[in-house]
Amino acid sequence: MTRPAPMVLTIVPVAALLAALQATTPPYAMLTGPIRTTGHQTETVLSTTFGVKVHRVLKAGTIAYTRFGRAVQLQTSGVWIVVSAELRAFQETMPVRAATLIGASGRSYRQSRRAGEAPGILSAKVVQPGLPTTGIFVFELPDDETLGMKLVLSEQYDPQLKDEIGVFLEDDGTASRDRLEIGKDGV
Amino acid sequence: MVFDRERKMWWLSLASLPALVAAAVVINAWRNIENYRHRIETDITQGPDHLDYAGATWRLENVRLLGDGRDAKLRLPGQMRLVIVRLVATATRDIGDAWGQCEVSLTDGTGRRWLPLDVSLSNDISRDLDPGREPVSGCGITSLKPPPKDHAALIEEKFVVPAEAVPVLSVKLSTAALRPKAIGFALDLN
Repeated sequence: MTRPAPMVLTIVPVAALLAALQATTPPYAMLTGPIRTTGHQTETVLSTTFGVKVHRVLKAGTIAYTRFGRAVQLQTSGVWIVVSAELRAFQETMPVRAATLIGASGRSYRQSRRAGEAPGILSAKVVQPGLPTTGIFVFELPDDETLGMKLVLSEQYDPQLKDEIGVFLEDDGTASRDRLEIGKDGV
Repeated sequence: MVFDRERKMWWLSLASLPALVAAAVVINAWRNIENYRHRIETDITQGPDHLDYAGATWRLENVRLLGDGRDAKLRLPGQMRLVIVRLVATATRDIGDAWGQCEVSLTDGTGRRWLPLDVSLSNDISRDLDPGREPVSGCGITSLKPPPKDHAALIEEKFVVPAEAVPVLSVKLSTAALRPKAIGFALDLN
């Protein structure tokens, strides 16, 4: 029979070592999470695979556009946030399908599906290396969330070991209006 | 005696744990590396003329550059250009599913890579350029019904590229089973 003393002397340090390793190991989600790059609206924010320059951030109670010759007008009890931006791909043809706006409370708002057919939606485009493309992202969120917003972009939602760009949007650059017309050339 | 044997087995089991964990990590890593190798193109055979690959002999049939007004008088905005690449593959054996996950891309020598337009947009452009003819399928669709032995298949892919990259473009083709091996042809567009 195995004597208890050596067993205890073995198990206790091993358990302590394993506990220390577990406590200091970053979680799997962090190890395989996004490769984050952060910047401000005033600058072009570049990651290894793509870059973004936010041109304008517009607030409106109603957005309007034409879809297949039919006028579309969308209202909200909150506020529409329309972000116009330019995207660049550096290495490979890629979409930037995932766009999220983090509001003042820290809550995340994905792009509005209601406005998914507006002209120039960037997440519907494919970005080619060497050919920057411009367009818009449209979000619908409560009015009190519009201070200190952060735009987060990536190729897909919840990227793993892929680039994710965060852009802090300028508060005073957020002009408010009753109605915003979205044309073929953007806002 | 029995106790000694039991104790030896206990220590042996404990000592073998690190080796077993290490072996599991290595096997898992090896599988991941193999999967990764089947997604990248690093061993590229560049050919001026014909190349044997995936049970067929491949050649570059035709390349069109549109957007600068010379071909089809089509002018695209700014630096945007449309490159249409046609390849002919003559099967030298029964291909079966050897062309699975066929990928065609353009590269420029600096590491930039352009992927083909999606099928519906590509077909729309084909119908606009030549309304009387059926669009030619890309590699992905052709791989589902490859040509029988000694028969040829025409494959067409369309790319949107910047004008400055056009003179140095090469087309690359690979299939999942053979990656990281791939074949390539210089387009020689000026």
